Amino acid sequence: MILFLGFVGIQFVRPDVPNPPVTGDLEVPADVKAIVQRACYDCHSNNTNLRWYDKIVPVYWGVASHIKDGRADLNFSEWNKLAPADQKAKLWESINQIISGAMPLPSYTAVHTEAKVSPADLGVLKNYLASMVHNKPADTAAINAADKQYQHWEKNETAIAKLPTAANGIAYIPDYKNWQPISTTERFDNNTLRVIFGNDIAVKAIKENNIHPWPNGAIFAKVAWAQLQDKDGTTHTGEFKQVEYMIKDDKKYASTYGWGWARFKTPKMVPYGGANVLFTNECMNCHKPMAAEDFVFTLPIKH
Amino acid sequence: MKAFYSLLAACALMLAACSDNKPVELYNTKAALPSSPKYNLDGLKVITSFVNKTKGTASTLYGNDLALKAAIEGNKIIAAKEVFTLVTWKQQDDDHWFGAKIPSDVESVEVIKTASSGNNVAVNYEQLEGRNLDLKTDTSGQAERIKYILGQKPSVLP
Repeated sequence: MILFLGFVGIQFVRPDVPNPPVTGDLEVPADVKAIVQRACYDCHSNNTNLRWYDKIVPVYWGVASHIKDGRADLNFSEWNKLAPADQKAKLWESINQIISGAMPLPSYTAVHTEAKVSPADLGVLKNYLASMVHNKPADTAAINAADKQYQHWEKNETAIAKLPTAANGIAYIPDYKNWQPISTTERFDNNTLRVIFGNDIAVKAIKENNIHPWPNGAIFAKVAWAQLQDKDGTTHTGEFKQVEYMIKDDKKYASTYGWGWARFKTPKMVPYGGANVLFTNECMNCHKPMAAEDFVFTLPIKH
Repeated sequence: MKAFYSLLAACALMLAACSDNKPVELYNTKAALPSSPKYNLDGLKVITSFVNKTKGTASTLYGNDLALKAAIEGNKIIAAKEVFTLVTWKQQDDDHWFGAKIPSDVESVEVIKTASSGNNVAVNYEQLEGRNLDLKTDTSGQAERIKYILGQKPSVLP
């Protein structure tokens, strides 16, 4: 009886889950939209549809917090607030979260079975994204931008006196270019080419089959350049976009999956996230599906 | 007691069904470079990396310090003791990221070594093919490959 009264009582402890106005909704073909609405909109839009069973405390507390976090990370109702390149990146990240099974949250689809993304649904989403990929030779603007940057770099004018530091205290590490490459990636989702470098500890760990988990002190540097396609079909590295680091230390970085994360943009090495340390949430959200691989996407190449 | 064991067995089965049996792939084994006395990447640095979307290949050009310096200067002067190594892989889809391609089987390793020879500098070129890194004996087209490799503009690595 007391338990029942207690259960009734806590029903009145209710966080508010308002549906704010839609500022600019996701614009995609109808079949794609239908899948996204069904699978994602309860937590990633301002059109949350709470069922009666979602509203029972304590389940409701969890639901309310999921919606708050979900909207903060990705909100299809405020799609217009993202730059076109960021919109594209979010879509590719989303489909990869779906493919890996990280999204929609398994705990959510266990109850809301209609939100599950079927293989057929996934096919529709993949086809849509693949249709947005275009291969064409670089235009004059891209060539000129790359040339200009190259000339600065070649004359050593990009050398930085004081090392920029990200909000989580991680400083740019200039020595990455002397490390060994452990793999390369062609990213046709965002038109970049990448080289992933590993420091000595990382390279030694690869040689010794000691990467599960990676040892403390291992560091990766992933460099991204814009793609510059020539007329012969060869795609070269164009403008330098950024270098990203993952620094393994299971104690120091225990709260961020055991890795220190940082991204420095342009040859000026501007720390991503500015003064806001919450940028690491973005890194972690994206890498979370790789938990079984110690949060590392790259499959190193042995030699 | 029998019922208890049956229950235990059922529980074990259920637990097994729930555990994630997906094998964890840690290395790109397809793209692994065989160790061979014919080439050595130790101590070499990345000069640049490129892909050919028509052929579906990915390449990384490595060089020793002298080669990297010369490449940044446009390889206008060929000096002795430069080592360039161009590794070309077939590409494969990245299982970890829809939207990415990563290296697959090794297609070739091309090695350029320069050495002083009297008053001149000799440029030696070798092409190793496939997984077994067989030395390509057909030497036609070598001059073109040397020109192509030395013509690669380094990647901006600030």
